[in-house]
Amino acid sequence: MTHSVASGKSIRFLYIASIVLLCAWVLGPLYLLAVNALSSPDTINQFPMNLIPEFDLESLIFFANFYGMLDALINSITVALFTMCFSICLGAPAGYALARFDFVGKELFRVIILMTRAFPLPLLALPLAVFFIETGLDDTAFGLSLVHTTLALPFAILITFSLFSGVPRELEEAAWTLGCNRFAAFRFVILPLILPGITASAIFAFVISWNEVFASAVLTIQNRTLTAFLLQNLDTAPLHLKFAGGFILVVPAIVFIFAVRKYLFAMWGISNR
Amino acid sequence: MKIKHSVIGLTVGCAISLSVNAEVLFWSTQAKPAQETQAMREQVLSSSATKVSYQANDGGPWLTRLQAELKAGSGEIGVLGALHGDFAAMNPDDLVDLDSLGLGAASATFNDLAKLGTSSAQYIPWMQASYVMAANKKALKYLPEGADVDSLTYDQLIAWASNVQKETGSAKFGFPAGPKGLKHRFFQGYLYPSYTDGVVRTFASDKAVKAWEKFRELWAVTNPASTNYSFLQEQLLSEEVWIAFDHTSRLANAFNERPNDFVAFPAPAGPEGRGFMPVIAGIAIPRTAPNMNEAKNVVKHMLDPKTQLATLRATNFFPVVDVDLPSDLPPAVQAAGGAIAKMSGSPDANPGLLPAGLGSKGGDFNRIFVDSFERIVLANQDIRAVLNDQKPKLQAIMNETGAPCWAPDAPSNGACPVE
Repeated sequence: MTHSVASGKSIRFLYIASIVLLCAWVLGPLYLLAVNALSSPDTINQFPMNLIPEFDLESLIFFANFYGMLDALINSITVALFTMCFSICLGAPAGYALARFDFVGKELFRVIILMTRAFPLPLLALPLAVFFIETGLDDTAFGLSLVHTTLALPFAILITFSLFSGVPRELEEAAWTLGCNRFAAFRFVILPLILPGITASAIFAFVISWNEVFASAVLTIQNRTLTAFLLQNLDTAPLHLKFAGGFILVVPAIVFIFAVRKYLFAMWGISNR
Repeated sequence: MKIKHSVIGLTVGCAISLSVNAEVLFWSTQAKPAQETQAMREQVLSSSATKVSYQANDGGPWLTRLQAELKAGSGEIGVLGALHGDFAAMNPDDLVDLDSLGLGAASATFNDLAKLGTSSAQYIPWMQASYVMAANKKALKYLPEGADVDSLTYDQLIAWASNVQKETGSAKFGFPAGPKGLKHRFFQGYLYPSYTDGVVRTFASDKAVKAWEKFRELWAVTNPASTNYSFLQEQLLSEEVWIAFDHTSRLANAFNERPNDFVAFPAPAGPEGRGFMPVIAGIAIPRTAPNMNEAKNVVKHMLDPKTQLATLRATNFFPVVDVDLPSDLPPAVQAAGGAIAKMSGSPDANPGLLPAGLGSKGGDFNRIFVDSFERIVLANQDIRAVLNDQKPKLQAIMNETGAPCWAPDAPSNGACPVE
């Protein structure tokens, strides 16, 4: 008896310790990023490091005046939203087909989906850019979001595939017997069940598009995304601008994830906390 | 054609901000740090009669985009800005001949390099820099007896770094041996010319063995974290390092942020003189430039003495044309300018030019020196064995490209031999 209490305690300790570790893992760097983004250049170079923000806005104001920042931010959001829509519109039907139908070449199809991630972008960027210039897709948010959709599609398909597989076929069949056609059954029975999962794949698509640099840097020129626009200017910039720039790149993505977080948690069964 | 039009229609239909631009796109690998990009836009290009959009990129996207436009036969890039080595790796036919502009640097050597082996100018030298030493003033009191910071020898530098280590308890000489550090330029332009009076011919000579032995001595008193350093200004500001070697633009922030705390001074001298390497950036026009005349106007604007001074303030790269430097320049420019002037004007100066004629093999050439450094200094392998091992690889690069020797190597007929 005492033995199992002790082991229960140690499991509980391990559980809490891992939660603390995971939180520190994620929040630690974000906190340091925020502190340094809000510190003056002198403070940043000091040793030991300052752990309390002094709310010096110099570095952030620099970026507020950086030519083209707002346009780049808008472009980034446009491209990410397009990517989200495309990858769900294309990915969800593909996931549905994989879960519900048996067709020739199904296994091959699943492998091919993953293959789109097997080629590094720098390799594909040159022929893509040539094609885009020739077709007029070059330097548009639409064109770039097509490329990002290709990157996000495998995730969208595989996530929705497992979602559809998790919904019993009988539910759908019951709806048919009650007068729904295939589309109505999907709309009123299946969709509400899988909506959280769709949100999750939307977040994936958004973040993949938001973080992508190489294709954005090659395929857009005047209409750059924020990542392409800033990231290349940051790796050689002085420390205080690196922190401020990193902060600016991270915040919109965090805001987005926070905005949709309850749908994400719902997928994992902790609904709507 | 129909598909093409419908694609364009779709694109426009998506209501995306398709900006109509009469601007010239300046596609550059230089002035990449955010504050330099900003200064290029606000201080250098705003005075141009032609509207310019300045975009600074990493080498990868820069080249990929350029290649795509050349392949597609049309594009948006009007003017290219890059280092000599970037242009040397290109096909000269892809760059417009610029002789008709009648522009050029004050240095005949630079103008010659800009021909890229053809008979006419493929790019116009735009700005120049070099590598210098910098030190925290706190380190100066540990200088070995009789040593003058403006005319150090390698032995004195080693003694100095060793004194600092003894007094402070930590190694405070910093060397840019990180992944993005420019260590290969130190070997090609500083160590080899100073100790062997050559780079290619003398690569595996007995004098080269001496040079590497000396560098090992220096490494023994170098901060071991140097294999992470790429921009020594950061370590100078954090005082992790007191004495440093790096590119002038990679030291600039230290001087601009705390001008009274640091000094810049010439690189040390060896038995064959004071080796140092100039760095040249150039501007060119790709054959696909959408508006050739306006692109040429931008090139002209960049070579104007006033613009050259503005560029100096913005990027810490020095003018290539003759200009009188005003006295109110930023601290980094004054410090670096003084050090470069002392270095090139010193009686034992022995300039080592940038590798020339290697075309796309420039990266492989650098690799030879980086590999030698890693094997000799980091892995502590036998110097003679490593040099003998690398020698045929170097010779293969020279033979393949047919590149003749450059200073300080004695001139050659045909490919430069590794002796």
